[in-house]
Amino acid sequence: MRILAHSYIQPNGIWLNQTCVKSTVGEENWLKAIYQNSGVEYPKFYKMDDLSKMSFLSSELLRKFIPAEIDQENELALIFANHSTSQLTDTKFHDSYAVQGNPSPSLFVYTLPNILTGELCIRNKWYGENCFYISEQFDAALFIDQIQFAFNHGNSCCLCGWVEAKTDGSHECFLFLVLLSEEKLDINTLNNLYKTYKNE
Amino acid sequence: MSDFKETLKAQIIEQLNLEDLQPSDIQDDAPLFGEDGLGLDSIDALEFIVLLDSNYNIKIADPNQGRDIFYSVNTLADYISKNKQ
Repeated sequence: MRILAHSYIQPNGIWLNQTCVKSTVGEENWLKAIYQNSGVEYPKFYKMDDLSKMSFLSSELLRKFIPAEIDQENELALIFANHSTSQLTDTKFHDSYAVQGNPSPSLFVYTLPNILTGELCIRNKWYGENCFYISEQFDAALFIDQIQFAFNHGNSCCLCGWVEAKTDGSHECFLFLVLLSEEKLDINTLNNLYKTYKNE
Repeated sequence: MSDFKETLKAQIIEQLNLEDLQPSDIQDDAPLFGEDGLGLDSIDALEFIVLLDSNYNIKIADPNQGRDIFYSVNTLADYISKNKQ
């Protein structure tokens, strides 16, 4: 398996293959700033929760690296994970009925973290396998195991991501695109790549 | 009427949790639903029904009416001005 491209988002900006695409230092509304800078027209972006917004923005960069010969509809698997699940939206939804008195349907639909994979599938017409795991921290071994499983079951490309939207605002989104190949991807390589971004 | 539409846009943003939008981002005559507009869907139609009830005491008895009423800020503002209690 071979990593074709990778991206990282945090409140200070968005990176593609370790190059900053858009700095959002000092931007109050940093996700909107990244969206407007992207040139992408997809109004549904504004409806999404922060997990979906970050994953959407990253995937818009990474999908350009998917080889033309890949049958994206059927051979691309999504493998995502985080630690905080949908806690940020859960809290907002709780407030909508406990504080404001009206449970919000538009918040309720995002009270599961794997909704983000649905958003990506709808956007890109990806109909393959998708899964979302909850783990204590970024777990390179888990990702490599699941990528291998996907490759053993008819997939030839995987879009993987560690996406956190926390109530304290410490968001991050690390996405990487993996192609089926003879090469080996080891745990240290993937861990080091993630840590490189964490230190940005 | 234009002040009312600006108020209405702010209420839409708050009700639908469109935190990244400003009222100026919403055109008066642009479709609110579907990919050509704000990308709203049937879940958001429920939010509009709640908005009309809680802010203007207007109850939509027939959900099929929503398609025309919620088409744009213009159609929504027009409906509210004719029906608010």
